[in-house]
Amino acid sequence: MTLDTLDTPKGQTETPISNMLLFKLSGEMFGIAVVCVNEILDPIKMTQVPNASEFVPAVINVRGSIVPLIDVRKRLLMPPQRPSPDIRFVVLELMIEDTLTKVAIAADEVSQVIDTAALNLERIPELGARWPRDFVNGVIRHGDNLVVILNSENLFRPDPANEKSV
Amino acid sequence: MTNPAIEAFVQEANDILETLEDQLLELEGSSDPAQVDAVFRALHTIKGSGSMFGFTRLSQFTHHFETAFDLIREGKLAIDGKLIDLSLKARDTMRRFVDLGGDNAEADQLSEAAEVKNLVAALQSLTNVTSAPETTEEGASQAGAASEIAVFDIWFKPAADDLRNGLRPDLLLGELEDLGDVTHRLDLTAVPSLEKLEPLQCYAAWAVTLTGATTEEAIKDVFIFADDSELEITKHEPPVAASEPELTTKTVAADKGKSNKTTAPIRVDSGRLDEVMDRLGELVIAQARLNQVTTRLADPMLEAVTEDIERLLTGLRDTTLSIRMMPIETVFGKFRRVVRDLSAELNKDIKLVTKGGETEIDKNVIDKLSEPLVHMIRNAIDHGVETREGRIEANKPEHGTVILSANQEGGEVLISLEDDGRGLNTEAIRARAIERGLLDANATPTEQELHQFIFAPGFSTAKELTSISGRGVGMDAVKTTVDSLRGNFKVHSQPGQGTKVTLHLPVSLAIIDGMLVRLGSDVFVIPLSAVQECVELDTLETNRESGRSMLRIRETLVPFLDLVDVFNYPESKDTRRRVVIVRAGNAPLGLIVDDILGQNQTVIKALSVYHRDVEGFAGATILGDGTVALIIDTAIMIRRALQQAKAQEAPSKYVAAGGH
Repeated sequence: MTLDTLDTPKGQTETPISNMLLFKLSGEMFGIAVVCVNEILDPIKMTQVPNASEFVPAVINVRGSIVPLIDVRKRLLMPPQRPSPDIRFVVLELMIEDTLTKVAIAADEVSQVIDTAALNLERIPELGARWPRDFVNGVIRHGDNLVVILNSENLFRPDPANEKSV
Repeated sequence: MTNPAIEAFVQEANDILETLEDQLLELEGSSDPAQVDAVFRALHTIKGSGSMFGFTRLSQFTHHFETAFDLIREGKLAIDGKLIDLSLKARDTMRRFVDLGGDNAEADQLSEAAEVKNLVAALQSLTNVTSAPETTEEGASQAGAASEIAVFDIWFKPAADDLRNGLRPDLLLGELEDLGDVTHRLDLTAVPSLEKLEPLQCYAAWAVTLTGATTEEAIKDVFIFADDSELEITKHEPPVAASEPELTTKTVAADKGKSNKTTAPIRVDSGRLDEVMDRLGELVIAQARLNQVTTRLADPMLEAVTEDIERLLTGLRDTTLSIRMMPIETVFGKFRRVVRDLSAELNKDIKLVTKGGETEIDKNVIDKLSEPLVHMIRNAIDHGVETREGRIEANKPEHGTVILSANQEGGEVLISLEDDGRGLNTEAIRARAIERGLLDANATPTEQELHQFIFAPGFSTAKELTSISGRGVGMDAVKTTVDSLRGNFKVHSQPGQGTKVTLHLPVSLAIIDGMLVRLGSDVFVIPLSAVQECVELDTLETNRESGRSMLRIRETLVPFLDLVDVFNYPESKDTRRRVVIVRAGNAPLGLIVDDILGQNQTVIKALSVYHRDVEGFAGATILGDGTVALIIDTAIMIRRALQQAKAQEAPSKYVAAGGH
């Protein structure tokens, strides 16, 4: 099965995605479609939003617009970020609740863009799943690495019902 | 509808119809001949350009309407309430034709619809009834008009790209022929040689000699949409008789009216204005960064440039902000119609008085405000003002008065709606509030506090209350809108005398004056309009008796919130902390912060959907160093403090009861 033919959990077929941006979170390699990547920034000062959910704890200034900084590790059930000189903010532009919205995520390291058209997307075996199935489309093998392809539609869905901080 | 020329016509027609409504309503009070002329011109313009831009149905309909006003102009038809009724309906129908976007099946359908046909019949019966028996007089007046025949030399040269924009000189010249005898000469002297010729450009010009009983105004009206063209009209004295003095005074008056519009406005998509505001916001931030660099480098030449840029930017900001400002009159006009229709519907005689229509307010505020204001006016007329009989019984003038006024006070615009009706029935509100569990049966709220209940959600459904007291339909919806505009209400009501609701609204939604405060190492902004005073905390006595936290400021006890607690910050290490006293409505509240850093103008940006349900923030802004600062929503802080006070009160009561 290639990316082109992949059935998303909802059953709709996704438009062909050929280019993926690869980045690292706590040593794992993740991939996200390049079409939704707006820019990659060196770390800038972020502003914590008091009483916000742990999923979206802060905002940053991206060229004059105020962009929520999303902690995807929370949803991927990963440990919090440790300081690293290679941290980059990846700014994405996504359709969220019918409006094109900019969001940012903090990656430990941004490595490269790869063409995945020829690569096979594999489903993650039920037993080996570390990540909530909703947030992940599958994995691809790229050289020696295993790249986890994120489902941006589900991963960035605002969900005020749970995840509220105490 | 992609043709820009048609779009321009639709916009222009909508503008004309908007003013037409006001003009008709004003005519009801006084039949000023200048006003009648204005209405006639408006109708004539729409009729003429309607057929030019493919709105034939609209044109045909308008023709009947225009005929009626032609008769009024000539003094053969009197203006009365019925005529105004008819005219307003006709205006609404014209709007529907315009909305249909031209000659299509729907427009055909509309012109065949029974109500439209009835309207045309009514207009026709008006014009026939008056003109039929007075044919002789008309003949006489035509003879009189013949003496007013004048000769006009008209020079008309369309702008180079007018043809591309859909201008049809042939139709314009045809319209001139309707005004009198026409001889025209085509001037082709401007046509270049073939190799230089741009096929889409217009090089032709026309010299027209018009002889007829018409005015310069009427000729100008023909060319009203060809405003980029060269147009010269020279009037020769009529060859036979001298023109009547009345006619000349009229043209002078009309000319004066025109010259009042000193500069021609242009239309800009408001989205583009928003873009300009965004860029400007970024520029303000970039400028603050430049300031910081300049201070560090201490180069006198750079300092001079930085100062220049700062001065220019301040000017640019003020101008840009003023572009967004519109006189509030633009919405007030709409309400005259609402009041007229409602008073007819409810059989109440009500006069609407508007004051301060020239007060300017941000366009976004105006757009959002018109619906809630209509709601409030409906409430005032429906429930506030008594019936005619009721008013006579209460020894009041038969006709009720609703006053809508606006004025600016500092950074706020106050809009108030006042009626001389029966006022709010506080007893009924109290009873209803207790019934709905919003108020403790033993509580003794002040009148002001009771009035606030009319804004409580669901209070509107209480039909039995509205029939006694006066207000309550959907006031919670009004409040939601006003809250979203960062405004608030004041209600003042006197039984039997009337009710006055005052809205306090910020002048601009985009930029506010903010007070910068520090909490830990973070900066927050408090809207300066809400700040009453600032005091040092350690000089104040915190009164923690009876379980309630209060600050004693001079003679009054003020409840307070420590922002460190509200925002879950670690305990403050500052020894000299400060209190910002904010106020919304009548409730003051102290907000304890670590330090006050100063003031600045703040470009407000909305928070994303991810943070919209985080309570306590009205938005965010970007500071000079590029970091984001959150803007504190003082109204929510005060509400929160009140809730906390209630929560604290409950256990203290329990303790007191246990002690016995």
